[in-house]
Amino acid sequence: MLECCDPINASHSQRLIMNLTLVVLVPFLGAALTGWVSRYGRLRSAWMAGAVTALALACLLPSLPVPFTGEPLIQRLPWMPGLGLDLVFRLDGLGLLFAMMILGIGLLVIIYARYYLDADDCMGRFYAYLLLFMGSMLGIVLAENLILLLMFWELTSLSSFLLISYWRHRQDARQGARMALTVTGLGGLALLGGFLLLGEIAGSYELSVILASGEAIRAHPLYSPMLVLVLLGAFTKSAQFPFHFWLPRAMAAPTPVSAYLHSATMVKAGIFLLARLFPALSGTPLWSVLVMSAGLATLLIGAWIALFKHDLKGLLAYSTVSHLGLITLLFGIGTPLAAVAGVFHIINHATFKASLFMAAGIIDHECGTRDMRRINGLWHFMPYTATLAMVASASMAGVPLFNGFLSKEMFFAEAANFFDLSTWSWVLPVTVVIASALAVAYSLRFIHDVFFNGEPHDLQRTPHEPPHWMKVPVEILVAICLLVGIFPGFTVEPLLAVAADSVLQCNSPAHDLAIWHGFNSAFAMSVIALLGGLLIYAARRPLFMIAARHEGLIDAGVLFGRTQQAVIGAARAVTTAFDTGSLQRLVALLLIGALGLGAVGLLGVSAPLTGTATLVPADGISLIVALGLGAGAIATTVLHRQRFTALIVVGVLGLLIALIFAKFSAPDLALTQLSVEVVTIVLLLLALYFLPQHTPAESSRVRRVRDLGLAAIAGLGTTALAWGILTRPGATISGYFLDNSVPGGGGSNVVNVILVDFRGFDTLGEITVLALAGLGIYAMLKGLRLPGMTLDPSGRPWNWDLHPTIMAALTRLLLPLALLVSAFIFLRGHNQPGGGFIAGLITAVALIMQYLTNGVEWTHRRLHGNMHPVIASGLLVGTLTGMASFVFGHPFLTSTFSHVHWPLVGDFELASAMAFDLGVYLVVVGSTLLILIHLGLMRSAATQERD
Amino acid sequence: MLEVILSALILLGALFTFIGSLGLARLEDFYTRLHGPTKATTLGVGSLLIASMVYFSTRGEGLSLHELLVTLFLFITAPVSAHLLAKAALHLRLRSLAVVPPRAEASAPQQANRDAPSDETVQR
Repeated sequence: MLECCDPINASHSQRLIMNLTLVVLVPFLGAALTGWVSRYGRLRSAWMAGAVTALALACLLPSLPVPFTGEPLIQRLPWMPGLGLDLVFRLDGLGLLFAMMILGIGLLVIIYARYYLDADDCMGRFYAYLLLFMGSMLGIVLAENLILLLMFWELTSLSSFLLISYWRHRQDARQGARMALTVTGLGGLALLGGFLLLGEIAGSYELSVILASGEAIRAHPLYSPMLVLVLLGAFTKSAQFPFHFWLPRAMAAPTPVSAYLHSATMVKAGIFLLARLFPALSGTPLWSVLVMSAGLATLLIGAWIALFKHDLKGLLAYSTVSHLGLITLLFGIGTPLAAVAGVFHIINHATFKASLFMAAGIIDHECGTRDMRRINGLWHFMPYTATLAMVASASMAGVPLFNGFLSKEMFFAEAANFFDLSTWSWVLPVTVVIASALAVAYSLRFIHDVFFNGEPHDLQRTPHEPPHWMKVPVEILVAICLLVGIFPGFTVEPLLAVAADSVLQCNSPAHDLAIWHGFNSAFAMSVIALLGGLLIYAARRPLFMIAARHEGLIDAGVLFGRTQQAVIGAARAVTTAFDTGSLQRLVALLLIGALGLGAVGLLGVSAPLTGTATLVPADGISLIVALGLGAGAIATTVLHRQRFTALIVVGVLGLLIALIFAKFSAPDLALTQLSVEVVTIVLLLLALYFLPQHTPAESSRVRRVRDLGLAAIAGLGTTALAWGILTRPGATISGYFLDNSVPGGGGSNVVNVILVDFRGFDTLGEITVLALAGLGIYAMLKGLRLPGMTLDPSGRPWNWDLHPTIMAALTRLLLPLALLVSAFIFLRGHNQPGGGFIAGLITAVALIMQYLTNGVEWTHRRLHGNMHPVIASGLLVGTLTGMASFVFGHPFLTSTFSHVHWPLVGDFELASAMAFDLGVYLVVVGSTLLILIHLGLMRSAATQERD
Repeated sequence: MLEVILSALILLGALFTFIGSLGLARLEDFYTRLHGPTKATTLGVGSLLIASMVYFSTRGEGLSLHELLVTLFLFITAPVSAHLLAKAALHLRLRSLAVVPPRAEASAPQQANRDAPSDETVQR
């Protein structure tokens, strides 16, 4: 079948300009801009979205002629060369066709949506989502690398989720979006597996290689599982039976979204994949069976259900399903001409279905309902829109002179040709004719029910023609339908030819886009389908009754819902079995698990516990501190019912640990431990205020004995492990850090150099986590009102003197001193114990002291309590410092340093890492204060409530 | 000569610290016990700090002034802690050798709250 093909030499033409990358990235950047601009007026976001789309189109324009030369344009930008993943984009006929559709129809949808959305719909959000989706779609159709394609594939799933659930107050929108995400997400997972297999089979993830090695791929033993996985991805995305159920439910989206997603983009992604991988995967019996059966079933079932939908958009949704089945079927047939017909129908379906959805949106907008039993006789109210919709539906039905007719004629011809090939082959042409007759019937129903057939029933308002610009997109699309339908040779032929070339990877076979081919089998089938459709529509009343009786009988969506419920139920059962809300239980389970695993791992190990390293003799101070730690830990456990006392003991323990650090020459750790300890204790004290002062005895004696035993075994086990490891000599990486700290990082404080330089990326992640933790606690505490205590546990009243004068006055005196210390610790951090983290904690403690002694109000009069900008600027400073090294062509967070001489202060070092440390400092100050202030505000809120 | 001075200062400091500790252990009630540690921090630590200053300043590495800072911080923190402790003791009406004045704040909580209703705080 493919013998006519002489492969086009897929050359890796490298261009300096990176316009394809821009085409993909511009919508992503524009999405953020559009969302932001909507703050300054909702219509601006519409303008911005239009401008962004036009810009992306303009970026595409310079490369427009390249596919017509017969060679794909490939542009490569190194991204993750270590993983073999580059930002590599490819523009060939197919990609060009899809990119034009995505951008062109996208622009029309943007114009349309500006008039469609209500005043209380957030326009910025809508357009931002739309642009995100547009960028993802462009990524799919322009990607050269399979992994890159898959990433954009998943992005379309995510962004379509956002678009479908745009009206998030509506339950059906949320459910529909969730279902679409689940189905397409699962398909994406299958697709990932398929792509990995495909990449391994072909030896490369680049499409140029894969498309050229079709023979080898089809002969490979892993071909079958790979094909099934890839097809699962394509079928879920393109709503092929039995995965079609998500598409009608996604109709809960605003109509512009439906017009965009379900005509030209989202659902066409699966079809695009079939077309894209057609040369590599097609031509085997398995391909034919799988793709044809799915396509045929979808074609028929979609058309059948569409006829009986009373919802206008439901009808269009199922007709979309049906047409997607048609295109799939064409690719399944697998002849070059069928592929040409498939590509042609992609174009035609996109134009007429987009215009039909827009028309349906106008009708919905004007009538307030989409129920075709209530909307009748709209011809009198909106003749202009009616004409446009009628042209589009005629195209959908495959009436001559409209574009749908041409591709359907090619489709019939292919189906008829198939007839000669095998014994059961009559099934295909017959089914195709039946489905086409159904298509004619539902198109007829759309026209007749909505625009004629009596008068409208109980509409809320009187429908009239929509604003002019709302009709313009429909007009353009309908004009394309007509132009393509009447002058196919002048309009669509070049684009179709080049797209078909790239689908087939060779020169496409001769095809004639004439309206009249003479009396042949295809024409006969067309006539039968048209007449059959008229007959079916005439006999609609009995058919409707039958359909009403069997409605919901075949609904995979219900099955899906049931499966989903079962999975959620199972997950919940597992969770509740382990987590009963008891912390003791969780800790006990964790310890038992760790002990069990440890025991299994150590079973049968005969190595001695003590290693060969020479032991350092124990000195008195270490012994005393160690004993103190042990005594403190026991005291905390014994005293745990008196929470306040236990907390003080915990504080003592923390200070002892700081002493140990100091003893073993880790002054940095000692300083950190000291400041962390202070902040932690203050935080716990603030939280303790809202908790009971005594822990009631809740555990039984048996349980306490069990817990004691468990704790003892775990403690002894940890000790044994620590002993075993510490007595064994082993090479560590500390030597490297010690050697490279000064030459590489320019600082003699190795700990700080590790934090801000060697492991700077880790630190950036850590401060991000810290910032998130701070914001999370803020979110939980915001607006929380808890009763504070008025009496202490012994019944004595709370002291009314909240701010003792001596303390308040002296703390104010202390503030500049503490800040000075903090600055000192910060500046010397790179070479001597100190650094941003410790300095941040000291500043936080100094400020929190003001809150404690002088009150929130007094402090807020002098210091703004809003810590969000501080946290944000800290993260920004850290990230920007990291990115600054890009400017000099170095990897992220490469540091540089030089020595500066300041008069008075002396020689000191200025490292770029210090700016990074400043980011750390700001985040620490901001997060700590945010948490502490809001814990304290909770108390004052409680006080006010009492008053 | 220097060593004699230093020894004397250190011994003096140790003595005062000891007296302070003894007072903390032996004195009759909370309020008098509060005096013990204050002696230790002022006179005891003061002598030790002077000793340290003299020692480090005479080693030819310039004047040692760290101790002044230590003194400053002690002067700021010691009264605050002593004051808070005394306040807490008064509030809890601990046993006292002297006659404790009648509770001023017995009727004060409501009044205080009314006086400073917006006096928000994060004090525990």
